[in-house]
Amino acid sequence: METSPSTILRPTVHATIPQFWGDLRAMGWVAKKEWLYFVRYPSWIISLVVWPMIFPLAYILSARALSGPDGSGLALFTARTGIADYLGFIAVGTTIWMWQNVVLWDVGFSLRREQMRGTLETNWLSPSWRMTFLIGPSLVQLFNMLMFLAVSVLEFGMVFGVRFNGSVWLTLLVVAASIPPIYGIGMAFASLVITAKEAHNFVFMVRGLVMIFCGISYPVSILPEWMQGIAQWLPQTYMMRAVRNAALGNASFQDLTPDLVALASFGAFWLAAGTVLFYWMERRARQTGAIGQY
Amino acid sequence: MSDWAIEVEDLVKKFPKKENKEAAKDGDPTPIKRGLFNFSKKSQVQAEQKCFTAVAGVNLQIERGEVFGLLGPNGAGKSTLIRMLCTLLEPTSGTARVNGFDIFKQANQVRQNLGTVLAGERSIYWKLTARENLEYFSALYHIPPAAAHKRVDELLERMELTARADDLVEKYSTGMKQRVAISKALVANPPILLLDEPTLGLDPQAARNLRELIAELKAEGHTILLTTHYMEEADLLSDRIGIIDQGQIIALNTPARLKDRINQRDVIRMEVAGWYEELASKLQVVPGIDKMVTRRMEGEGMVEVSLHAENSRAVLPGVIEKINYNGTRLVNMNIVKPSLEDVFINLTGKALRD
Amino acid sequence: MKTTVQTLSHPTLGSHMRALWMITQKDWTQYWRYPLNVVGQVMSPLIFLAPVYFMGQAFSINGQAQGFAGYAGTTDYISFILIGSVLNNFIMTVFWGIGYALKNDMDSGMLESNWLMPVPRPLLLIGRTFSSLLITAVTSLAMLVIAALAFGFRPTGSALAALVPVVPVVPLLVGLYGFGMAFAAIVLLMRDANTLVDISSYLVGLFSGSQFPVQALPWFLLPISLALPLTYGFDAVRGILLNTKTILPVPVEIGLLVLFMGVMIWLGLRVFTHMERVVRSKGTLGQH
Repeated sequence: METSPSTILRPTVHATIPQFWGDLRAMGWVAKKEWLYFVRYPSWIISLVVWPMIFPLAYILSARALSGPDGSGLALFTARTGIADYLGFIAVGTTIWMWQNVVLWDVGFSLRREQMRGTLETNWLSPSWRMTFLIGPSLVQLFNMLMFLAVSVLEFGMVFGVRFNGSVWLTLLVVAASIPPIYGIGMAFASLVITAKEAHNFVFMVRGLVMIFCGISYPVSILPEWMQGIAQWLPQTYMMRAVRNAALGNASFQDLTPDLVALASFGAFWLAAGTVLFYWMERRARQTGAIGQY
Repeated sequence: MSDWAIEVEDLVKKFPKKENKEAAKDGDPTPIKRGLFNFSKKSQVQAEQKCFTAVAGVNLQIERGEVFGLLGPNGAGKSTLIRMLCTLLEPTSGTARVNGFDIFKQANQVRQNLGTVLAGERSIYWKLTARENLEYFSALYHIPPAAAHKRVDELLERMELTARADDLVEKYSTGMKQRVAISKALVANPPILLLDEPTLGLDPQAARNLRELIAELKAEGHTILLTTHYMEEADLLSDRIGIIDQGQIIALNTPARLKDRINQRDVIRMEVAGWYEELASKLQVVPGIDKMVTRRMEGEGMVEVSLHAENSRAVLPGVIEKINYNGTRLVNMNIVKPSLEDVFINLTGKALRD
Repeated sequence: MKTTVQTLSHPTLGSHMRALWMITQKDWTQYWRYPLNVVGQVMSPLIFLAPVYFMGQAFSINGQAQGFAGYAGTTDYISFILIGSVLNNFIMTVFWGIGYALKNDMDSGMLESNWLMPVPRPLLLIGRTFSSLLITAVTSLAMLVIAALAFGFRPTGSALAALVPVVPVVPLLVGLYGFGMAFAAIVLLMRDANTLVDISSYLVGLFSGSQFPVQALPWFLLPISLALPLTYGFDAVRGILLNTKTILPVPVEIGLLVLFMGVMIWLGLRVFTHMERVVRSKGTLGQH
């Protein structure tokens, strides 16, 4: 049968919105969907309020034990590290660690969760820009984290008596500079996780690395030199240091500049890595048909 | 030991309904009264409405060696009934015995004598091989080791899985996974098998193979209770069929006798192009039409219509006149022998399949 | 037509033991078929130990934590932590392991398959812990080896002396099986207990002294600690192995643990049996 032009099937819905705005709108809806999934599980409220308080407790109480009833341990610690405000030190360290941890789970597993629900394939059948499905969840997660950070600051002040003496604006600047590397790592993860079935082990390893090298409960300076070398390659090291200096210390913008530059470089690298890995994964999935599999 | 393989007496299952929203959906804006001290009839009725009745008093006796088909649309209560019989679900009231053992008081003995296939793919371990799956379940069925090894080999051979027996199940096709699930149900050589929609999701060849297996198992003396909403399957395989709708068995007999019930009825099957909704009501008022069911077909505006009438010749002129009007066209027409689906339509006024 | 089909299923004590063994074998086999799990297991002791070691170092001179000795009665911080960690691993396996195994089964759709078996439910659940306990034993041993190689852990005393802690540990773990059953019951009912479990397990681990001597707690938090049977488990084991300052005399603590064991087994089984019936009545067994 000859196919005249009139018999060639044409899509019945014509794209009237330029692609860019269409993708933006799609991204908004993806974010909305993520948000609805989040709020429809009521336990998020508990997570938001309870974890900032209880997670640092392990470190704080361990430090208390190590200080001893007479505080001799703490005096020794201060002499070696120059850190007097140990509570504030731990508070910042644990918060940054939790931020990275939550991003690894929320953003890192966002595509995986879609795959498990069986909706990843459905989403990819649409003509939207594929990265929409990664950026959407990241945006929602970022909003949640900002709430979490705000609650944390409140709770540290009220419950643990931590005094944030530094500049609010500089602190916010450091937090903003920390966003690209943290979420870039999350996005890179999301792509790796789709292809690896037991990806939760990756999360344990990454957050383990951060725990050891980046100085949650001790300054990097007490690590052996070779370990300090490794710490320099982890963006969380700079985040912790810069936030501590900005929020707890009296650091000026000039003091913070080297760390801000480092964070910007890491941010650029990890966002690029996240994008490259995503397209690599997407191509591989199309070749192997792995997207629909769980 | 009881003469019946399965006996069911007044079995009822009610689930608590989500309140208020359900009432509002049904058009009743009155919120359901709570509290211990509302003894008025209205509140009792409303208390009843708080429950959704999935199985509404089923009575059934299945003979040994029989294949019994439970036929009904989605949501009729088939799976709920099966789940009660295999002890996964506790009945609200009533009782049942499987191979003479009470499902409530002798649950463990019931399980020893039953092989059940629920959802095939997700009822076996994907990170184990077929052989490992069967050995595992053999142990849980308390089969002595030597007998278990022999049995596992037999089943793998029978299900044509021997060549792939030592590959992980996650690498199998859907049909193969289903065969492993069935093997698992057969591993203890149970006298009674419960199969819940066993061919759902299988390709035609796999479904055909499964039906052949069911016939073989019957020949070996197993009693089989199978649920399905495919009438051809029920018709083909079953010695007797129970038609279930809204939690009750509305007819129970051999396929032939069920169809005989409406043999006095003619069934007119028509394919109509250019269908519109008002035509349905116009056709229903044609004198002599008992029941009418429509189903959308592929193709724009194409609908399949089944009409039950006592005398098709008397009814046809009126029907054709109504159809061939204003752009609607009769594309195809047959006067057919009633099928089980027609029995269902006759009994309930609605279709078996959506 | 009468059937001549006879079931092959013949339960005996031996067949129940065999069922337990097969459940263990199934879990063990499945576990190692996820290769990243192996890597994770190997790395996890290291990931745990290193930060603890460095934190202790920051408060110590020549590896001796003087300030710490004021609370614990020993300057050997790393040994204190190691013992707590090994014991905690076993506790976690039993305490939460039953519930998590159940949850995994629910999520993967295997719960109904297992529940159809003519095996007592508690046996199904207890069997799930065995391979985890084996894996925990392997991990703990690896942790001790790494600690010895990298973090200066030096066990002293005889191997026989190292077995004495079995005396408090056995009633502790057996009692925890009871708790594990009760927790499994909650998992069956709630189906999404993740947040509750995460927070509870964290707090229980914290307050029972797995990471620091409970004597270091502020006075208003100490009662929570003292109310937890686990606290006496940690305390007794450390008292035996490290000669630390214990809250109560060790024999008294062992007695408390035995009492705990009896109560929890009875309570746990009752709660589980009741909840399982509730779930079967609601028909939510297959849902997740």
